[in-house]
Amino acid sequence: MKKLSWNFWGLLPAYLVMSLLMVLPLLIIFYVSFMTSDAYGGYKAIFSLQSYSQIFYTADWDDNLVLNFQYLKIIARTLFLSGATAVICLLVSFPVAYYISRQSNNMKTFLLYLVTLPFWVSMVVRVYACVLILSNDGVLESGLRFFGLIGDIDSLLYNNAAMMVGMVYTYIPLMILPIYASIEKLDTRLIEAASDLYSCRMNTLRSIILPLCKPGIVAGFILVLVPCLGTVLEPMLLGGGKTMMLGNLIQNQFGVARNWSFGASLTVLLLCIVLLFLMFQAHRTSKLRELS
Amino acid sequence: MKYITKISLLALSISLSTGAKAENNQLNVYTWAESIDPVLIENFQKETGIEITLDSYTSNEYLLAKLKSGSSDYDVVFPSQHFVKIMIQEGLLKNIDAKNMAAFKQVDDKWKNKWWDKSSEYSIPFVYGTAGYTVNRDKYEGPANSWKEFFEPTGAAAGNIAVFSTPDEIIPAAQLYLGIDFCTEKRTDMKKVYQLLKKQKEYVAVYSSDNISSRISSGEVVMHNWWDGDSMRARKNNNAPIEYAQPKEGLVGWLDSMVVPKNSRNSDNAKTFINWMSEKDNATIEYNYYAHSSAVAIDESKAIHKKENSPEIFPTAFIKFTRACSPSAQKLVDKVWTQLLQ
Repeated sequence: MKKLSWNFWGLLPAYLVMSLLMVLPLLIIFYVSFMTSDAYGGYKAIFSLQSYSQIFYTADWDDNLVLNFQYLKIIARTLFLSGATAVICLLVSFPVAYYISRQSNNMKTFLLYLVTLPFWVSMVVRVYACVLILSNDGVLESGLRFFGLIGDIDSLLYNNAAMMVGMVYTYIPLMILPIYASIEKLDTRLIEAASDLYSCRMNTLRSIILPLCKPGIVAGFILVLVPCLGTVLEPMLLGGGKTMMLGNLIQNQFGVARNWSFGASLTVLLLCIVLLFLMFQAHRTSKLRELS
Repeated sequence: MKYITKISLLALSISLSTGAKAENNQLNVYTWAESIDPVLIENFQKETGIEITLDSYTSNEYLLAKLKSGSSDYDVVFPSQHFVKIMIQEGLLKNIDAKNMAAFKQVDDKWKNKWWDKSSEYSIPFVYGTAGYTVNRDKYEGPANSWKEFFEPTGAAAGNIAVFSTPDEIIPAAQLYLGIDFCTEKRTDMKKVYQLLKKQKEYVAVYSSDNISSRISSGEVVMHNWWDGDSMRARKNNNAPIEYAQPKEGLVGWLDSMVVPKNSRNSDNAKTFINWMSEKDNATIEYNYYAHSSAVAIDESKAIHKKENSPEIFPTAFIKFTRACSPSAQKLVDKVWTQLLQ
């Protein structure tokens, strides 16, 4: 028998962890999504496609099966809010990352440390901090009122905007870091050359800096988008539980609504969406590799 | 090599045996948020040497979902009556022969052998109360004697209402208001419930069952779904300017029992805990802390919540207890809720 190499033995723990904690649970979810759900949670081992058809068709109040957009609406909302979050993160992150990359080495380390600092705090606590800032008579509202910038306004909390503030705040480090990494690698001589050749600043940014930073931007975009698609906390705490995102819908199916199969089929759907984005990214990088 | 194997086996067996030993002193209690007096927990640990790990939930649905998932490791939980019935039905509870436990003798006769546990094998009734809503009197001057103010709010209340995040008690409340039977299987009736809640949603600031006290006491919202004793506790302990409404259509009744989940690994400790909590002195301390009515006997002379100073738990409104719905009625409840929060 061929002796298995170090590569195999070294990676064995990783394979084990991945298959036990990721592949196996996913297979279970896949399996449950094709079963019939039980009235009080759990599932019965009877094959059914009901949970998938439920995404598009639901029984109305007269028990007729009708095309129903309520779940598709949630999916669309999830995609839209996640996309918007990623775009805002990008707009904010790029100047920040660029600024950091132009500092002295010591300063860089310090600033990057500051960027990663929130990760040392539990996510629940961070989202709660946003609740405190945005709440009635919270830091933001009373501050703005103190400076006479606002009069009597409706609560800043419990709406889609509050949700987005929370999501941007939570995931922005995931955007700054990859963009920073790609700006760091940027050859500054190219920028000098551009200005020597009378390129204006805007043009340098557009035709030199941005294209060279594209891998970082795409990576950051995906790193922000993917966790946003599955977000649960922000809609619950900052959105007031009034508008759902896919993550909340799935959580509800396994909790309050006790419809495991439907929850599982939604999970499979979410997974497919995420996979699409990741495949797009993988396809891009492999193409880049071929080019170089 | 063999030597090392032996040593590691020995180490393993020692760690397993000590692990098993520690297991015997453990008790995992899963209960409603802020429901058990910390003093009682401490006293129990001191007296029995059993170490309690406390975890909390804010809705029966989450409790059921946790137990049903099979991944939980709880020894004592506190479901409400209709969920006791469902859990027995689903085989999630251990038969602890409740009727022969010391705790059972403390239970008020009117709560014995009820429909959710007819032969009293699984559950010891512990506390009971109502679900209704509380208003902040600094921000809201209108009446609070009907569900109308809550479901069809006007004035200061519109836009500043907070509702429980699960349907378990809010749908029965809507049914009380509309004069519809609990657990109805009529689609037309449930459609009315849905339409009422859908209209109410325009005025709802938040759906949440957590941190109710701070939200209503501070006036962040002016009306909040809440439970009688919790509302009273905030009024008495924190001087919150709040009032628990007495809707003329009735309040939603509940009774929480102590039960032991089927997969509990410390069921003897669980029984010890249940008996201990039901002892008269401890039940009195718990009554004074939790402020919900006690289903087990308490020492009336030491009780601080008397009829004259506790309108919340001695309601004038009539009380209708929730029931365990049939699967088809439950489906309608879930449907209303999913459509509402879509």
